[in-house]
Amino acid sequence: MRFFSFIGWIVWKDLLSELRSRESLSSMLFFALAVILIFSFSFSTDEEAVRQLIAGVMWVAFGFTGIIGLGKSFASELQNDCLEALQVNPIPKGAIYLGKLLANLIFIVSVELLLLPLFVIFFNLDILAKLPVLLVIMMSGTLGLSALGTLFSALTVQIRAREVMLPILLLPMAVPVFIGAVEATRGVLDGEPFGFYRPWIDLLLVFDVIFVVVSFWVIEFVLDT
Amino acid sequence: MSRFILWLRAYQGWFGTAGGLCVAAGLYLGLVSSPPDAYQGEVVRIMYMHVPLAQTSLFAYATLFICSLWYLWKRDPVVDNAAHAAAGIGVFFTSAALVTGSIWAKPTWNTWWTWDPRLVSFTVLLLILIGYLMLRMFIDEPERQARFAAILAIVGGIDLPIVKFSVEWWRTLHQPLSISPRGISYAGAMLVPLVVMAIGVALLFTYMLMVRTQLLYLRQLLEAKKGRLLSRAHL
Repeated sequence: MRFFSFIGWIVWKDLLSELRSRESLSSMLFFALAVILIFSFSFSTDEEAVRQLIAGVMWVAFGFTGIIGLGKSFASELQNDCLEALQVNPIPKGAIYLGKLLANLIFIVSVELLLLPLFVIFFNLDILAKLPVLLVIMMSGTLGLSALGTLFSALTVQIRAREVMLPILLLPMAVPVFIGAVEATRGVLDGEPFGFYRPWIDLLLVFDVIFVVVSFWVIEFVLDT
Repeated sequence: MSRFILWLRAYQGWFGTAGGLCVAAGLYLGLVSSPPDAYQGEVVRIMYMHVPLAQTSLFAYATLFICSLWYLWKRDPVVDNAAHAAAGIGVFFTSAALVTGSIWAKPTWNTWWTWDPRLVSFTVLLLILIGYLMLRMFIDEPERQARFAAILAIVGGIDLPIVKFSVEWWRTLHQPLSISPRGISYAGAMLVPLVVMAIGVALLFTYMLMVRTQLLYLRQLLEAKKGRLLSRAHL
């Protein structure tokens, strides 16, 4: 049970420092806004193009926004030797990983929830009836990205060219997440019956489980002193 | 000097010669004496390069994966050198496989590229290997470099089957695979050069691996000795 309280402390710490500085959330939000505006200029007037491409556009926006947040998650620990403090702390390293994962998930999903109305406005989507399923897809996709992203963030935080290495390492490995999330989102937005796109949600959930477990095992080698 | 390194130096010649002979024999059998394909004609001869290259690049990643697991378990720096070597050579073989595959695809499938599960998996494999080499390039401390690289290789190795599986699913749901790389059933006369080439290229890979492992080991040894010389000078 203490394990879970450790996770809770890490999440609380990250949430508190973020609420005070709002540094990560604001940069994520404004980047996503720019992405949506650019895509909107590109093809929001072409109905057919919107219908075919909107799922991919959404996940490009969510994915790159998420990468910004994931990078900042461990980078913020570099100041004041906080990273060393985490490494020498006697709490299990897996708890640090899960705490960071949960905090990242909360940040990225919050930004995605703020972006969703913007997508509806700019691209004239109709999602009110499908909102619950859409939320499930968003959460599973973001969990998959964050599971690997938190691990790679810890891996790349102390190396040179840290901001460039995180996307380079993460994006090829997250291909199944993007395929699953885009196909499931496309299914929802096209109004297909649930059974048609349900396999993609299953793929996302399996990917999530596998990579949370693998990262949980491996994180102790990364946060080794 | 590690005993394993000395063993590598002693036997590298055997692998190199054997590999060279096999590849030479395979090239003769494949390019000269084997029959052209019933449908593809002479174009099929690039298969004798492409398939062994692709198989060997998977072999390279398997070597990388096993060496990474071994390193995290035993922390042997020579194993880490072998992993680093396997990744570098793997980039070469994967790129060669993708390029030869693309050259083969243009006359047979009438396209340079398609979102086929194998092609996407190989591209992701190439990107993971390049990411691995970049990660190693950007970390200076040898122990941390080895540890982080091993972790990346292991996570990548677990990820690759999932990538292959998800893209397979994606393509079958979107369009039935009308063009399939499995469409060739090998006639006996084509199987022999293919097997000879596959063995030859694998032996050449082993030779390259042996040489490069020694190179990386010696480079690390040199850095260590330089460090000791400098510290002695400061005394």
